[in-house]
Amino acid sequence: MTHDATETDRSADRHTRRRFLALGGAAGVAGLAGCSAERTADDGETDGDGSDDGGSDDGGSGGGADDDGESETPTLTVATYGAFIDAPSVSPGEWLKEEFESRVDAELEWATPDNEVNYYVERAASGASIDADLYVGLTAEDLVRVDEEVDDDLFASAGEVEGSDAVREGLRFDPFERAVPFDTGYVSLVYDGTETEAPETFEGLLAEEHRGDLIAQNPGGSSTGRAFMLHTVARFGDGGVAGDGEGEAVEGDDGDPDYDYLDYWAELQDNDVRVLGSWDDAYTSWSEGEAPIVVSYSTDQVFADMEGANLEEHRIQFLNDQAYATPEGMAVFADADEPDLAREFMSFMLEPDVQGEIAQRNVAFPATDTAELPEDYAELAQEPAEPVTFTYDQLQGSLDGWISEWERQFAGN
Amino acid sequence: MSDGSGGLESGRKRATRLRDRVERHALAGLTVATVAVLAVVFYYPVGTVLVESVVVDGAVTLGVFADLLRDPFYFGELARLFAGEDPVAVVRALVAPDRRLGIVGFTAYQAALSTLASVALGLPAAYLLARFEFPGRRTLRSLTIVPFVLPSIMVAVGFVATFGRNGTLNALLAAVGLGPVELMFSLEAIVIAHAFYNAPLVARVTTAAWESVDAGAVETARSLGAGPLRSFLDVVAPQVYPAVLMGAALTFVFTFGTFPIVLALGGFELATVEVFVFRLARDLNYAEAAALAVVELVISLAVLGAYLRYEARHTVTSRGVRPLPRRPLVPSAPTAGALLSRLGLGVYGVVAALVFLAPIASMVLASVTGGDGALTLDHYRFLVERQRTGAAFQVRPWPAVRNSLVFAAASALVALPMGVVVAVVTTRRYRGRKLVDAVAMAPFAVSGILVGLGLLRGLVFGVEVAGWRIAVAGSAAIVAAHAVAGYPFVVRTVAPGLDSLDRSLIESARALGASRARVLRDVELPLVWPGVVAGAAFAVAISMGEFTATVVLATGADAYTMPVAIERFIGRRLGPATAMGCVLLVVTGLSFVVIERLGGEYDGI
Repeated sequence: MTHDATETDRSADRHTRRRFLALGGAAGVAGLAGCSAERTADDGETDGDGSDDGGSDDGGSGGGADDDGESETPTLTVATYGAFIDAPSVSPGEWLKEEFESRVDAELEWATPDNEVNYYVERAASGASIDADLYVGLTAEDLVRVDEEVDDDLFASAGEVEGSDAVREGLRFDPFERAVPFDTGYVSLVYDGTETEAPETFEGLLAEEHRGDLIAQNPGGSSTGRAFMLHTVARFGDGGVAGDGEGEAVEGDDGDPDYDYLDYWAELQDNDVRVLGSWDDAYTSWSEGEAPIVVSYSTDQVFADMEGANLEEHRIQFLNDQAYATPEGMAVFADADEPDLAREFMSFMLEPDVQGEIAQRNVAFPATDTAELPEDYAELAQEPAEPVTFTYDQLQGSLDGWISEWERQFAGN
Repeated sequence: MSDGSGGLESGRKRATRLRDRVERHALAGLTVATVAVLAVVFYYPVGTVLVESVVVDGAVTLGVFADLLRDPFYFGELARLFAGEDPVAVVRALVAPDRRLGIVGFTAYQAALSTLASVALGLPAAYLLARFEFPGRRTLRSLTIVPFVLPSIMVAVGFVATFGRNGTLNALLAAVGLGPVELMFSLEAIVIAHAFYNAPLVARVTTAAWESVDAGAVETARSLGAGPLRSFLDVVAPQVYPAVLMGAALTFVFTFGTFPIVLALGGFELATVEVFVFRLARDLNYAEAAALAVVELVISLAVLGAYLRYEARHTVTSRGVRPLPRRPLVPSAPTAGALLSRLGLGVYGVVAALVFLAPIASMVLASVTGGDGALTLDHYRFLVERQRTGAAFQVRPWPAVRNSLVFAAASALVALPMGVVVAVVTTRRYRGRKLVDAVAMAPFAVSGILVGLGLLRGLVFGVEVAGWRIAVAGSAAIVAAHAVAGYPFVVRTVAPGLDSLDRSLIESARALGASRARVLRDVELPLVWPGVVAGAAFAVAISMGEFTATVVLATGADAYTMPVAIERFIGRRLGPATAMGCVLLVVTGLSFVVIERLGGEYDGI
């Protein structure tokens, strides 16, 4: 949930790579070779040769062999989104790799395909081998989408993962217990306190004094935008939109059956809300003073503090004391070459000190009760009194309809 | 002695025959190679995605299209026509004030406006660059290509800082007691941003055409009594129109497929077709995404096809040997006309400074501004730091610069022969050549999002053949993909020149025994050399700015380019990304100055 590139990674148009470098050898001229052929019959055995780290070829020697040779260090390939390992400010990737390799006799390789989970959905659909052991950074929406589109299981059940009992109850979003949450973020309002005082309720955003004040993001292309829209569905109900599809209708917390999220958005649009494409677009415009309130993460002050910015210009407001929680999970691929090592990595991720580091380096909140965090972390990273989130079951069959109805209303011209 | 010379003679003959045979087949060989490259890195991969619009769950169907065409959300009032309603009623609804354009209609509408704005901002630049002499003219001309390569996020940053509520424009207006104007999040903002990208394109192609007007023809017209205006309209304008239309047609196609900039500067109310292609593809709804992309493709190709028909009918057959003399920007004798044209250019200069320079300057400023608003070099220090200490799996600045340069040079070398071959093939006379020409332009018209998806499926994951999975990725594939994206420019800058060449030149060379390839190399290409250089410059620009194919085909962080580095460096603060953006700016700017100097002193296409 790093604010940083996470959002971009999910909103721009691009995909990725990996693997073939083993053939090309080291970087440079040899890298020009680009064609590979591999036998498809025994794809279970070829593993980890796509060294992501610029051509060290030793990854190819893995393969779960036993014996005592030192050269048999197994390689764990962990797929994730780009910002998890490579954000301009902080990202947990490097620390996790070093720490894991120092604790476990294994080599960790990161894979950050540009299309994120969709890349593996595509791989599976194309009949290509998965080439990764687990995915880090799954959301409930990802799982819903994957399950709808992939016939066979892309992910395996988590099974016995040491330490997973410590995961907080409200964060477990996968009813089939494949994904194990490792951190969470909360999507809230961030506002410039020197310009305005953000309202305490959703209704407050409709007030004349907040006309043109709010910048949000496209629910179809941005995770913060999606979370904020889902929060309005939770608050006002979906007016039976999901019931028209396969999903179950949602009744809003507002207690008014005749007023749904689309009605709210119509009023929000009348009050000049700006819905931009990605979190970057929105945050850039907000930073430049185009509007004083933006939909973002409740950890905003952590970054602001890092940069020495005026915290008064980076204030958090939870609407109705709530915020939409966006837990991130990790799951082992059904085709993993190193499933045991992958589960070892999962329990490593849940260890108290690692949980604390992930939270700080990914600028998010731990998923476990036992995380070790510095005392003052909570001062800057704020949690809502009441987290709101839709479960996998609620999203299934509904999410698509909610988004397309919203699009049709908002962009109808 | 006679024996010896005879043997030498026959040996020479044999060598000549061999060379002839190679030459005779050189063109055919290049054509086959071009088709092969296009098939492998474009048509096949894209086909794997587009086919999903008609094959759903293994069955062929037109149902997806039928639903799409009848959906008023996408087609507005026209959807009623497709649904079988009375055409008269539909027309009546279309002229009514509350008509619905639908997403497709709106996309075409904003593309048309963007095209008009790009032509309006591009033509005066062409006039200035083609008709006036001033210090730095050639460098300025080289630099006009720079906006073309800037990633949309950089342009968005520059635009907010220039046209935003607290932007440069409002500061200027306030200084003279006007304003403020609210330009952001409007159709105007999008149109101006599109002009930022495309007016330079219009300017470049128009400048080239203008410079190729033969001074002799104008002098003849003047000596026959035509006034300056008359000779301009009758002699100059007809030679410039085709180039303007080409710029306009390409602008329409590019802005019709626009994506991130629309949501960054406009907002979701102004969403275009590509926004929905992206969303549907992201949600793995490939059938609908592909169908929308096909609609997009058909409309874009129709526009390109219309232009190509025009181009074919309006070939200018006499190309200037002697260009019009340039006038000094500061007039030697201040006549009313001279002052008026300078005044006009002065006004244009102010507008151009605001539209082109201010956003770039704002971007540069952002790269040296810290979180507290003070000037700092921290963001550049970040680049140096990342270069020194970045982990191997992270993107580092120098490899990105190096890769960009290597890929750009290599892809231009591939795109040039491809473009020339296609130009030769499409300027021959046969039925359906315009269709071939339009299909060859497809890389301009296909949804970039689906191209990326296609490359992933078709190349990166590979094809299974007899128990082997053949996959293509890495630098070679990136170069090929960049070449495919850029070669249509070469076709467009070379074909009109080839078409206009006097056929008798080629015929006499052939009659003297030269092979077709030799005629092309020794006669035709030298005559259209400026077009070749112009095409090469565009091919380099496309490669420098390319993102999707690169990130799909790269085998690791060490194959990333500058745009990928910029994207990876985007964070909560834009500093590091804008610093990398400035590196891109400088590297591309320098490259183009060098390319056009190396291209030789030339005037006109």
